[in-house]
Amino acid sequence: MEAFLTVDDLKVHFPTVDGVVKATDGLSFGLARGKTLGIVGESGSGKSVSSSAILGLHRGTNAVVSGEIRLDGNNLLALSDEEMRMRRGKEVAMIFQDPLSSLHPYFTIGNQIAEAYLVHHKVSKSAARTRVVEMLDRVGIPQADRRLNDYPHQFSGGMRQRAMIAMALINDPSLVIADEPTTALDVTVQAQILDLLQDLQRDFNTAIILITHDLGVVAEMADDVLVMYAGRAVEYGPCKEILTHPEMPYTWGLLSSAPDLTASTSGRLLPIPGTPPSLLNPPSGCPFHPRCTHRDKVPGDLCRTTLPELLPGHHREDHTKRCHLADPDTVFRTEILPNLAPELVEESS
Amino acid sequence: MGIKLRRSVAASAAAVLGLSLMAACGGDGTTDEGPESETSTAGGTLKVLQHFPYEASDPQRIYYGVQLAWYRRLIYRGLLAFPMSEDPEEATTPVPDLATDTGTSSEEGRVWSFTLKDGVKWEDGTDITCEDVQYGTSRVFANDLITGGPNYTLSYIDVEDYPGPYKATPAQQQAFEEAVSCDGKTITFRFNKPWADFPQAIAGMMMTDPYKESFDEGAKSQWKVLSNGPYKVEGGVWEKNKGATLVRNPEYDPATDDPETLRLALPDQIDYQIDPSETSGELFNDRLITDAPDVQNAITTARVVPSQFAQLEGPVLDRYLNVESPYTQYLTPNFNRLKDVKVRQALAVALDLDGYVKALGGDKAAAPAESIVNPSVSGYQPNPAFDGDNSGDPEAAKALLEEAGVEMPYPIKLAYPASPTADKAMAVIKEGWDAAGFDVTLEGQGDTYYDVISRPDDDFDVSWAGWGADWPSMMTVLPPLFDSRPNFSPTTCGQDYGCYESDEFESLVDQAANSATVEEQTSFLQEADVVLGEEVAYIPLDTSKFNWLWGSKITGFTTTAASSSYPEIGLIGVTE
Amino acid sequence: MWAYIVRRCAVGLALLLALTLVTFALFFASPVDPARFACGKNCSEQQRDQARKALGYDKPVYEQWGNFVKGVVVGRDFPADPELRAAAPEVVTHCEAPCLGYSHLNARTVNELVKDAAPVSISLAVVALVMWLIGGVLFGILAAVTKGSFMDRGIVGLTLVAYAFPTFFIAVFFLKYLAVKWQVMPYPAYTSIEEGGIAAWMLNLLMPSFTLALVFMAGYVRMTRAFVLESMTEDYIRTARAKGLQGRKVLFKHGLRAALTPLVTMVGLDFAALLAGAIITESVFAYPGLGLLTVQASAAYDLPTIIGVVILAGSFVILANIIVDISYAFIDPRVRLG
Repeated sequence: MEAFLTVDDLKVHFPTVDGVVKATDGLSFGLARGKTLGIVGESGSGKSVSSSAILGLHRGTNAVVSGEIRLDGNNLLALSDEEMRMRRGKEVAMIFQDPLSSLHPYFTIGNQIAEAYLVHHKVSKSAARTRVVEMLDRVGIPQADRRLNDYPHQFSGGMRQRAMIAMALINDPSLVIADEPTTALDVTVQAQILDLLQDLQRDFNTAIILITHDLGVVAEMADDVLVMYAGRAVEYGPCKEILTHPEMPYTWGLLSSAPDLTASTSGRLLPIPGTPPSLLNPPSGCPFHPRCTHRDKVPGDLCRTTLPELLPGHHREDHTKRCHLADPDTVFRTEILPNLAPELVEESS
Repeated sequence: MGIKLRRSVAASAAAVLGLSLMAACGGDGTTDEGPESETSTAGGTLKVLQHFPYEASDPQRIYYGVQLAWYRRLIYRGLLAFPMSEDPEEATTPVPDLATDTGTSSEEGRVWSFTLKDGVKWEDGTDITCEDVQYGTSRVFANDLITGGPNYTLSYIDVEDYPGPYKATPAQQQAFEEAVSCDGKTITFRFNKPWADFPQAIAGMMMTDPYKESFDEGAKSQWKVLSNGPYKVEGGVWEKNKGATLVRNPEYDPATDDPETLRLALPDQIDYQIDPSETSGELFNDRLITDAPDVQNAITTARVVPSQFAQLEGPVLDRYLNVESPYTQYLTPNFNRLKDVKVRQALAVALDLDGYVKALGGDKAAAPAESIVNPSVSGYQPNPAFDGDNSGDPEAAKALLEEAGVEMPYPIKLAYPASPTADKAMAVIKEGWDAAGFDVTLEGQGDTYYDVISRPDDDFDVSWAGWGADWPSMMTVLPPLFDSRPNFSPTTCGQDYGCYESDEFESLVDQAANSATVEEQTSFLQEADVVLGEEVAYIPLDTSKFNWLWGSKITGFTTTAASSSYPEIGLIGVTE
Repeated sequence: MWAYIVRRCAVGLALLLALTLVTFALFFASPVDPARFACGKNCSEQQRDQARKALGYDKPVYEQWGNFVKGVVVGRDFPADPELRAAAPEVVTHCEAPCLGYSHLNARTVNELVKDAAPVSISLAVVALVMWLIGGVLFGILAAVTKGSFMDRGIVGLTLVAYAFPTFFIAVFFLKYLAVKWQVMPYPAYTSIEEGGIAAWMLNLLMPSFTLALVFMAGYVRMTRAFVLESMTEDYIRTARAKGLQGRKVLFKHGLRAALTPLVTMVGLDFAALLAGAIITESVFAYPGLGLLTVQASAAYDLPTIIGVVILAGSFVILANIIVDISYAFIDPRVRLG
């Protein structure tokens, strides 16, 4: 499968007076047209920073971006600011987490969406308006030709996110980055939005990078999964493979803390102990080792001293992970699996 | 305060800016005498830069010294006037103006009569009548409408319960017209007590100036001007914060006047420019120092401030005059607290007056005073109690304190209106007194200073005060300041800030008040001043000095006692 | 919306009424007897009473206040003493409603005084407003977009300098140097448009208005800078950039729109306060506006003028508040008046 997007050794570093913050530190992955990559991790693991780098949103700041981001054969990092701007919103679009704060409060929904279209198309305002109505209609906003004169605060949360999606898709982008698109929404609306995204993906053959900290969402949407921790990929592979045979204790932690999409989850959420590491002074060795409950299964001081390579696991070549554990499969089966939510267990069996 | 003096900005703006290069001390060639009268020519436009607004231009409502003096020369002639003489004696002796002579008194000074000249006219062409003088005099009684002016006549004119012409019943008006009566062109004033210095009172002030009844609108006349002098106000209205343009009054006939003595009226036009800002006075003089083109034909009401003294050099000195003013400052011991005359004497003896004057800005700013009576007041003589050395003698003072048998250091609270200059000068006084065995606390006060020190129960031992005579008679100095009878009330000691009360002094004042002649009156008051000195009712400090600049096209610049040491506008002309 | 405006105006009127009451109370709590002030020395007790009666100070405070309010509603005649008015009709001054009172000090109605002085203060305020808005907003934006650079530091440093010098100092400095010493500017004296035309009006206003504007400008530079910097970190700015909008469009359309909205409140209130007279500037430059009127009235215990100006100032501020609130309904779609 020819990768439409390839990210190779992406680094996003922020120099500060206290030292360099390595928000993303050597990230590589690929994505084909019409497919979905789920990037999973806690807040501050580098998911959003990495995807912002794909849009070139770090340009004009003091961030140092290196590596290679190849979209349809072009290295985005080598483009001029203006060339990048022309692609932004047209070839690569982004859906943000909180649609209320991400929409400008002083402009109408229609105005803001039309603006996204007009910046990339030389058409009249009325043509743009027609297009906006069409898109709003498509994302399921009733009476779109009237509602486009509304301001963001007059929309419900779900409608706002639909509008954001309409804005992102109005230029038929080949890649959409959805940064936690459902986090701010309530559960039933979450499902609708995810369904909508899937529908649109089918219709437009869009590649989607879905950023989330929720493995439940990933399970429903993603073809591939990339688990990030402290700016690095710690486990990467096909979705089903990762969810059924996770080999990295951090992924296990995420699975254990994933809420059940269908049932009440009280009592079953097991948050990962400890706090995410500092990106300014990351821990030595495996960055997860201070929080890892399985590090005593690794002989010697290996977890503390040596950063594990991202290597293929025990099942498939395209399933890679960073972990020193000799037999993660057994540990997962005996210690983790029994405590997981039924839906995930079902998929894992 | 007596006659109104516009206080200069306490903290000069230049001092705030730190712009003055150095404190100027010591004089150079500048002298007190004015320049020799140059050949004065008529014509041209004189510019008057005024740094404060007047409070009215209605003659019966004017109290500012400089305004009275200048209006007398320009627009309002009086029955009498003071001559434009550099000789103080001459300048404080009234001469006839609208009247034919300086008046006739009878009944030991209780009755005064004046006769109007023929041909004196208002600017509207009508004659000035005796009834106009009578009406003008009556207006002062209307305390509800005609306010702010001097009103000594209220306590002299022999009429009771007269509310002024507006509200008077026919009976009241009749009573007034008997007290101030007209017989043809002769007006007669009847007083309830002798008023020997009445001519001096009305030569400078406008309490008995004529006013045309048909022109009067009460308080609404505040800024209206109906001139009878050589100039008239263009438009007839003085603008409070802007000023006025004065042009020749065609109805004025110099033949009815004595221009050489009273008003040369040289310029064809006089532009009054009022800038009532806090800093305008200093800036006017900045402009005069550089002799900027727009001020070469200008004089100003604003005096040069000490921070500008350093710039008075070279050619500027040709346009500069330093003169003693009619304002004298003094200290009053509080008689409710300092009851021992030896303690008060010790204060006087220890006073370092030379150092004090230096702190005020040196001999350009002030001169040591030797009496509370200003040298420009007729009958002035140094008070023997304060004669002689001015540098202070702490040892002699200490001896006096020991004689008094008081415990040393003797605590003294000294009150004064705070300002940077005053703070500095008072510190000099403190130093001298401390050396003599006092322990001085300086109490700088705010805006309500005079109200505070008037209180009989204030806890200040000594207070600073200043005074300018309303007319050049000691009657307007000693009685208003030290006679307890008009001053005392349950809540205040009035202008008798030290709450001084003396039967000996008051009987001399009564004798002076009842004198039929000015000479007799003066000798009683000179005696009264000696009494004050012996009891140390006051300690004289300084006579303020005025520093004047004028533009290079001004001629005839001088000051006189008649002009309150302000520029004598009646002599000033402009060259082209 | 109309109901809202009516309600706000009613509250504003009540506030003004309370303001007059407080001013009256404060004035009468002061130890100075205005009649004594007006009558001068050599005034007997009886003569002082006569003056007090003419001024209307013989009545109890509440009655004086009542008469004042009545004057505002239906107009009044002065002097206050009815016998005096009856005896001498030529001295009567009629003051039309809304009568703010009669200034004994100036022998004119406060309405006339205010009518003369207001154009001066308004001219000063308007020209200063234009100066400080243009300067403040432009330099504020410039500092924000060049944040951290030499330019930014320079601008912020200059605002500190402008803050540090009191208005009095700046005014005197301008006069002493620009007008007197170097004579690069004419010595300013207020000239109305009718008198001297727009050019003379403007030329004379430059120095005092700039003095007045300077300290405001410093404040507005810093506020604008802070608001722009804050708004440029908002999520919707990221959205605008993600759409591919040009940088200047992001700044000028999306950034400034949000950043400058809070300035509307500040401008409204600052401008309203200035309309009632810039006391220091007007005093130093001798501009006969409401500020100078206030200073002169305060020095002479001229109560009616003080009250008149207080009411005017209060109305300006209250009105500005209402206008600001209403304009928000148009500026910010999220605001609904109710």
